[in-house]
Amino acid sequence: MSALAVGGALFAIGLYGVLVRRDLVAVLASIEVMIAAPLLLLVSLGAAADGSSRVEAVALLLIVLAAAGAAVGLALVVAIARTARTTRIDELRQVSG
Amino acid sequence: MSEQVLFWSLSALAVAGALAVVLAREMLRMAFGLGAFLLALAGFFALFGFGFLALAEIFVYVGGVLVLMLFAIMLVHREVPGAPSLQSRHDPVALVSAAGVGALIVMLLRPFVVTAESPAAGGPSLGRVLLSDLLPHFELAGLLLLAALVAVVAVSRGDAE
Repeated sequence: MSALAVGGALFAIGLYGVLVRRDLVAVLASIEVMIAAPLLLLVSLGAAADGSSRVEAVALLLIVLAAAGAAVGLALVVAIARTARTTRIDELRQVSG
Repeated sequence: MSEQVLFWSLSALAVAGALAVVLAREMLRMAFGLGAFLLALAGFFALFGFGFLALAEIFVYVGGVLVLMLFAIMLVHREVPGAPSLQSRHDPVALVSAAGVGALIVMLLRPFVVTAESPAAGGPSLGRVLLSDLLPHFELAGLLLLAALVAVVAVSRGDAE
């Protein structure tokens, strides 16, 4: 129960960061917090279950997927910074609708 | 009892790190907050009995993603003396939305909480599960890693000229 509260709080903090941050790298870091919170929930809920090594395997795969996503996101940040000369999302006018 | 103490100190570290990620006004403080947060997460994994997962988290996230993030900060960030390097547009609507989503998660997942705590298995059975039941997922994750690697090279190299 307490792990559930901590996970929910961490997800909310990460979501707030995604909503209010104005720098792409900080938004990516907030997304990492948002990814980690469900991982914590999965592990805490699955630790007491019977197939706990299956839970561990799924969590391991999720870590790998999140790391791949972070790598691609950071590469995109570098590419954007090179072409647009800024990483502030309110200055990136050419991608706005 | 000591597990409870450990759990709440890890929670405090994780929440403090996450708050540093969201609220810090300097880039490096944000990165170190993320590091503290990820280490606390690995501590949680170890606390719940998943030692290998904790090690993988430290290797992949603290050793990989965090260092990659520091590289990206060094590549793209230009310091302006005197000005805070990170800005946020704090907004009560965003605060209410985020808190609402967090409360929703807690309310929705509350029926699934198992109260009987038993230590997790971990160890050799992890490898057995990963290479038998979850073998397709394991292979697909490898394929996705390869695709991500190629994508990172293609994106960060930019145009050929």
